[in-house]
Amino acid sequence: MIQDTQSTTESQSATEDQGAPPFQAVFFADFTCPYSYIAQAQVDNLIRDYGVKPLWRPHWLHPEMPPEGRPYAADPERRKATLAWLREMEPEKAEPMRLPDKQQFSFYAFEALEYAEDNGLALPFKSAVFDALWVEGKDIAQANTLMEAADKVGLDAEDLGRALRERAYTLRALEAVLTAAKIGVTATPTVFLGRAKIIGWHYYEVFQSALAQQGIHPRPATVTAATA
Amino acid sequence: MLKQYVVDPSMLPWKNGETEGVTFRGQVMLSGDDGGPEAFRFVFDPCIKVYAHMHLTSQFQVLLGGFMDLPKETMKLRPVAVHYTDHNVSYGPFSVGGDHHVLVLHPRRAGLVTMGNRDARRKINLTGRQISGMEKDTEWVAIAGHEDMRCKFLLPPMTGPEAMMLECPPNMTIPVNAPVYGRYEVVLKGGVVMEGRALTPPGLRYVEGDEQPSPLTTGPEGATVMFFSFDKDAREGGLAGDELSMLGAEAMAKAI
Repeated sequence: MIQDTQSTTESQSATEDQGAPPFQAVFFADFTCPYSYIAQAQVDNLIRDYGVKPLWRPHWLHPEMPPEGRPYAADPERRKATLAWLREMEPEKAEPMRLPDKQQFSFYAFEALEYAEDNGLALPFKSAVFDALWVEGKDIAQANTLMEAADKVGLDAEDLGRALRERAYTLRALEAVLTAAKIGVTATPTVFLGRAKIIGWHYYEVFQSALAQQGIHPRPATVTAATA
Repeated sequence: MLKQYVVDPSMLPWKNGETEGVTFRGQVMLSGDDGGPEAFRFVFDPCIKVYAHMHLTSQFQVLLGGFMDLPKETMKLRPVAVHYTDHNVSYGPFSVGGDHHVLVLHPRRAGLVTMGNRDARRKINLTGRQISGMEKDTEWVAIAGHEDMRCKFLLPPMTGPEAMMLECPPNMTIPVNAPVYGRYEVVLKGGVVMEGRALTPPGLRYVEGDEQPSPLTTGPEGATVMFFSFDKDAREGGLAGDELSMLGAEAMAKAI
């Protein structure tokens, strides 16, 4: 579902003006949500086609989850079906996915995301964390997993480890989670794209329609490349 | 003015159908060929992935048997369940299985548009609703002045489109309201006389207009009836002369 919101950003029509700041899209997601994982493809396309500047914010799907995680309640058939659906919805992104053995705790990864944000590498870091969980089958509640992801994208893994041990970003991550709740995010992913609030996973063409309705069109370079 | 259609499915032939590899048996309960409502009864073979698609009008799906699992955690539907979508709202992929049995109810011909069609994705209704409800999740409500009747709302009136289940004693006359945007009345249990015709499950009547339709009368064993009322979205969408409509009409005709 998509709702029109009044939360317009100042830069909503920025792509229409050369030299204007990039249009910002805010993605509320949880690393443990498979639909958020495949939504990364939409983000990549928005960056490529519209020069959108994505901001990833946490929406904590399962605050009741213990740090050690817990077995999936869903039956094997449901898990099999979920993988089949994901592969129809976003074939390329979903192809290497495998469902983890248990439901995982995501809050430490939210803390690490804040660290990555401070160090200018939030976007590649979130991809590395998503891959660790959904492709490599690792437990993202483990500091080692998050440190490996940090290392892959050029962050100081040891420094992140220290920040996690000292819980240096706990309050910030908690504030981010509370902000999501306060502004009415109830599903993941939820995307604020200018005036549009896009709830749940959607096709890329839906994002394009939402942008077109706000007078925002692909960058000329993209149009040229796509039609060449 | 009032439009009325009464369907006794025991009189209708069953046909085998297939769409994009999904196989089923079905009955055309109302064809919509006269510009009126379109209704189908389907029994799908078990399928882990029915492709994502949309219809060009509002739709009630009434799950009478088996299961229908959609990606949304709250949409693991078990009978009796209702799944409603506004016109041009895509849903799925989804799984069906068990002793699957569903009614698909449209106010007009709706077409069938696969989301594999990238151009069609641009026609998705950006503000459309997709809601569901299950009998097992809702409580019976007593009806004041009618101690021998009770009802439950699978989709409560406040949501717009409404789905109400009504349990009635034998030989009772049930007055009904004027169905401004259109309403399906489906027999779930027992027997009901509609427009002089005795119907058993899942016989139905579709009524639409600003006049009050004739009341329903339950048979000697009583009846459970469901009422599916469209709201103003029923006036939106539908098959027109555009390419998407033609594709949708063609796909539906091919499937059934």
